[in-house]
Amino acid sequence: VSMPHAKGTRHSPPGKPTLTRCRSPEKETFTCWWEPGSDGGLPTTHALYYRKENSETVYECPDYRTAGENSCFFNKNNTSIWVNYNITVVATNTLGSTFSDPMDIDVMYIVKPNPPERLAVTVMEDKSWPFLRVSWEPPHKADTRSGWITLMYEIRVKLEQENKWEMHLAGQQKMFNIFSLRSGGSYLVQVRCKPDHGFWSEWSSTSYIEVPDYFPREKSVWIL
Amino acid sequence: LYAVAACSAVPISDLLDRASQRSDTLHSLSTMLTQDLDSHFPPIGRIIMPRPSMCHTSSLQTPNDKEQALQVSESDLMSLARSLLQAWSDPLEVLSTSVKTLPHPAQNSISNKLKELQEHSKSLGDGLNILSGKMGPAAQTISSLPYSGGNDIGQDRISKLTNFHFLLSCFRRDSHKIDSFLKVLRCRAAKLQPEMC
Repeated sequence: VSMPHAKGTRHSPPGKPTLTRCRSPEKETFTCWWEPGSDGGLPTTHALYYRKENSETVYECPDYRTAGENSCFFNKNNTSIWVNYNITVVATNTLGSTFSDPMDIDVMYIVKPNPPERLAVTVMEDKSWPFLRVSWEPPHKADTRSGWITLMYEIRVKLEQENKWEMHLAGQQKMFNIFSLRSGGSYLVQVRCKPDHGFWSEWSSTSYIEVPDYFPREKSVWIL
Repeated sequence: LYAVAACSAVPISDLLDRASQRSDTLHSLSTMLTQDLDSHFPPIGRIIMPRPSMCHTSSLQTPNDKEQALQVSESDLMSLARSLLQAWSDPLEVLSTSVKTLPHPAQNSISNKLKELQEHSKSLGDGLNILSGKMGPAAQTISSLPYSGGNDIGQDRISKLTNFHFLLSCFRRDSHKIDSFLKVLRCRAAKLQPEMC
């Protein structure tokens, strides 16, 4: 508790930290993040502890560095799937410790891949009518070749000056043709992926493509 | 007879592709069912619900990460998938019978999804029987994982909802395993068409 007009702040044990989320990008590793509570005016440290289903042993987070501040990274050796992890974060200062609410996670439910990579768009021509050929690679960390993870893709495209994106589901393909161009101009293209059971990735970086304005601009004239 | 002849000509990779589409749907259905149940789950249920290690299939040794899974032979992966699926034929029947008295506002929708789930599970089972027959005797080995929970899901509202939810959460994990094993098998069989993976 602090007093607004006092010179020094009253010190207290740390506020309660909150486990915010856990995510696995490829069903092989995962990371959990937390938000610290108040520090109680004292230097405060945070530690993450976990216990795996079928075991009484409590372990401390193996890696606080790899995924940045307020996070714990579980590498391949520390990651099992189809096993519940009971996770708690403990904030500690000289006056005491405060525990977060525990979180139960199984890697199978927290898969959100990285965005697809090497997005390439080219203008092709079919009977003098232009179309876009979009191709990409799966995120390099995802092992789609062994079948350990299966990814579906979605593409979105829009003319630079428009607000609305046009969406296309590509299934498991890594190439897609867009024939529905309405005019020449500068197009923006992005792609994202979703595992068979899990969450959509963020959109990939944007690819810009200039489509020459060589459409036959026929205007129908109605004579009544 | 023509159908049988045509059937036997289907390559294993195609059969595995069909099977993994089924197993994919099976797991998605179990996820939808869990969401239906979550919408009306008593808070106490989360506390008293048995741990996943209490699932009747938890004694089956299965791989726990990619490295382990990729080391398992084709026949053993098939045998694991079939054992898990087989272990659910009785408890799915229990769920499907007890849904009639389940005190839940979405009871109808849950009942329909369960029916669909049972049908998918049965046709996947038939498909895997054919597949394992083509793969040889090791793939036909089945570990028996008897369900000893009885036909009664519970007496009062809380225990009915909790036990129902528990059984479904076990199925959800197992169907995810089945699906993962079949998709690994599909990719191994599809070596000639790597674009499938």
